[in-house]
Amino acid sequence: MTDVLVSEFLKLRTVRSTTYLLLSLVLTLAAGALVSYLMTADYDVQPPDVQVRFGAADPGMVVLPFGQFVLGVLGALAVTSEYGSGMIRTALVSVPRRKSFLLAKTAVVGGVSAVVGAAITLLAYAAGELITGDRPKPISAYDSFAEAAPTLLANTASLTLLGLFGLGLGFLLRSTAGVLVTLCGLLFVIPGISLLLPSPWDDRVYSVMLPVLAPQLAGELADPPLSPAAAALVMVAYLVSVLGGGMVALLRRDA
Amino acid sequence: MIEVRELTKRYGTARAVDGLTFEVKPGYVAGFLGPNGAGKSTTMRAILGLDRPTSGEALVNGRHYAEIKNPMHHVGALIDAGAVHGGRSAYDHLHVLARSNGIGPKRVVHTLEQVGLAGVARRRVGTLSLGMKQRLGVAAALLGDPGVLLFDEPVNGLDPEGIRWIRHLMRDLAAEGRTVLVSSHLMSEMALTADRVVVIGRGKLILEASMQDLSDRFQRDVLVRTAHRTELTRALERSGATVRQEDGALAVQGITAHDIGEIAAHQRIPVHELTPRSASLEDAYLELTDDSVEYRTEETAR
Repeated sequence: MTDVLVSEFLKLRTVRSTTYLLLSLVLTLAAGALVSYLMTADYDVQPPDVQVRFGAADPGMVVLPFGQFVLGVLGALAVTSEYGSGMIRTALVSVPRRKSFLLAKTAVVGGVSAVVGAAITLLAYAAGELITGDRPKPISAYDSFAEAAPTLLANTASLTLLGLFGLGLGFLLRSTAGVLVTLCGLLFVIPGISLLLPSPWDDRVYSVMLPVLAPQLAGELADPPLSPAAAALVMVAYLVSVLGGGMVALLRRDA
Repeated sequence: MIEVRELTKRYGTARAVDGLTFEVKPGYVAGFLGPNGAGKSTTMRAILGLDRPTSGEALVNGRHYAEIKNPMHHVGALIDAGAVHGGRSAYDHLHVLARSNGIGPKRVVHTLEQVGLAGVARRRVGTLSLGMKQRLGVAAALLGDPGVLLFDEPVNGLDPEGIRWIRHLMRDLAAEGRTVLVSSHLMSEMALTADRVVVIGRGKLILEASMQDLSDRFQRDVLVRTAHRTELTRALERSGATVRQEDGALAVQGITAHDIGEIAAHQRIPVHELTPRSASLEDAYLELTDDSVEYRTEETAR
């Protein structure tokens, strides 16, 4: 099993797509920092009554949604690039135990997503603190690291979730394009549409959408539809259904 | 040792493989022949656990492939040279496969040298020619030094030097006591490589035989030239042969060249030529698979 794990990690490391995806995250961090910097510069020249109505200059606002998408793609490519190229047949001939195969990929994608997710979350936080300096709220997002910690943890959890979610979708759909469309729909399109539903279904459906799980998990919303525990359960449900479905597809269907 | 027992694989209503049974033992090169769409690749995929048989089973060394731990040490397979991620270097590709079965980097380097790809080890697989990809696929099959080898159409895309190389490689592997199964749709290729053949068509077994039996079976007739056609014809017909005139010579069936010579000598008839003619293996193969060709072209006007 260790051999398969190391092999899967090598696979991820030895393709250029991984490098490009990580680079795009660095660019996102830079873009987030730039937005924060411009907001802060604007804040400094405004009168106090306007200053109190500012939003937080938090690079995480830019980094989180884009990071979710990028890690979803990273997870998906770990499978769909193999189906797309035919490598899956070579891979399954060398590792014919399909459960081990899926578990190894899950561990590697989960681990990498967690590490990358934690890194970009912390970097975004640090950049925000550096840029806003000793300015008070609301332009500064947090007064202390302790205050920020739940949000940072929740964001890392949601980034990890998206990596694994992309992987599961990859096993289910076997197509890079298919996963990309599904991810875009679930992250960027359907949440907006769900708000058009008649009350109370708008809030109910919106609250279980992928992008709004992290803030509810952190407990940072005033009156959230989901408690942190409920948000965590929904996240687990997403994981189990998509990875379980992916496992069934891998075990049942011919490669 | 490869055993295929009553293997059937249906895709929808189409039977790709239909009750196929054969086995391949160690020590010789087994050619796996059939026209396009006969079910060769499906059979190989079933042996390797990629496709689940509809019924029947395929065993390698008495076990289902999917149950073998670190299978690369027991079975090496080249299924499709294109079935690789084009973005990895040749070395990385093999390294990734080797690692999954606990095979070290030294063996990867050795195998790259063995197939003649040491010079392009750092090049991305996508930039390699089809022939180089075939060699890379062979390298992947050889990584674990396995006792059973399956090659699906290994000569596709190889240049003449490469074809000769792979022919020798397969014969050497078999001579070392390994089990070697090679599929091809070209009889001429198998005639030079295989010791035994398994011929299938439309998913069914048509023939399993040694190469020698196959050519004996398609022995056609003996061409005899003599100035005394009438006398010789009479003598041969008396001993039960069928004789036909052909361009001033005799085409004799139902009797061996050896006996024809004896009879002619006995009758004191000088014979100028005595040639046993067999259908070429190519013809034999076409005749065998004639009923089972799935994709046929219209007869071209000559």
